[in-house]
Amino acid sequence: MTPELDPVIHAQARLRVVVTLNTLDEGDQITFPGLKDLLGMTAGNLSVHLGKLEEAGYVEITKAHRGRTPVTYVALTRRGRLAFEEYTAAIRTLLDMTAAPPSGDA
Amino acid sequence: MDDDEAELSPQESLRLIEQQSSAASRRLTPDPRALYVVWGIAWLVGFGALFLHHGLSGRPYAPISIGLALAVLFGMMLLAWAFTGFLLWRTGAPVRGVSQQRGMMYGFAWPIAFFTLSMIAGRFGAQLPEAEKSLLWASGSIMLVAVLYVAGAAVWNDWPMFAIGVGMAVLNAVGTAAGAGWHALLISVGGGGGLVVSGFLLSRRAPR
Repeated sequence: MTPELDPVIHAQARLRVVVTLNTLDEGDQITFPGLKDLLGMTAGNLSVHLGKLEEAGYVEITKAHRGRTPVTYVALTRRGRLAFEEYTAAIRTLLDMTAAPPSGDA
Repeated sequence: MDDDEAELSPQESLRLIEQQSSAASRRLTPDPRALYVVWGIAWLVGFGALFLHHGLSGRPYAPISIGLALAVLFGMMLLAWAFTGFLLWRTGAPVRGVSQQRGMMYGFAWPIAFFTLSMIAGRFGAQLPEAEKSLLWASGSIMLVAVLYVAGAAVWNDWPMFAIGVGMAVLNAVGTAAGAGWHALLISVGGGGGLVVSGFLLSRRAPR
């Protein structure tokens, strides 16, 4: 059976966002500008993708203040982490299936 | 549909995951190897100066006063601390949460430990001859570094850091038994040199 790939994650830009957020420890958040610089994306583009990820419940966006400046923090939710794990597992399964299986006695 | 939404083949996906996660970890976690090299050089030079002052048989190998040797040692330490602070600030700035708290609490362990040492060695060192006083400060400091390395290894589950801490503790014990000159030599060459070598030999930790 061919595993289904989560369409929310299976797009270049959002995959990069999810992978990057997944490198943070659970319980950590990254600032929006920090994430933007790391990914080399424009603010507008990143906002759009974060919006889609937030809609799916994969990303949590927190607005806070650092002194008087408003700061937006981004983190993967538990559900997002799980979805990424499943996505990675599905990709590996697909690759195993396409790699020709060795004939039994080789 | 723009490029961002482009369909990826499974190979492309996997490659992207691997590249992006190592790039992100490189940017978000300080590279311990850079710290090992910088601290290694600081110890090599600093304890090297102290060694030249003490010599192995109680006679100096170079005309370096204790004041000058300590000035070199503390100067190198300050530079290494400044570099450490800069590196931690640069990598940790955009992130907040548990790892920041963990790092902050661990970071506080250092000034707490060294403040305590300064109180102890300051009081008892006053009773000692110069070489023994110097050894009290040096061995106390390396003991704290060794213990904090071992504790740091426990915090970040970092085996190389643990091994370096244990190695320092052994060098420190042997050097303390042998006397001020030997201690400075062992910490300079074995500790400082060992740190530099570790920094170059260790490969960067794979992202979790």
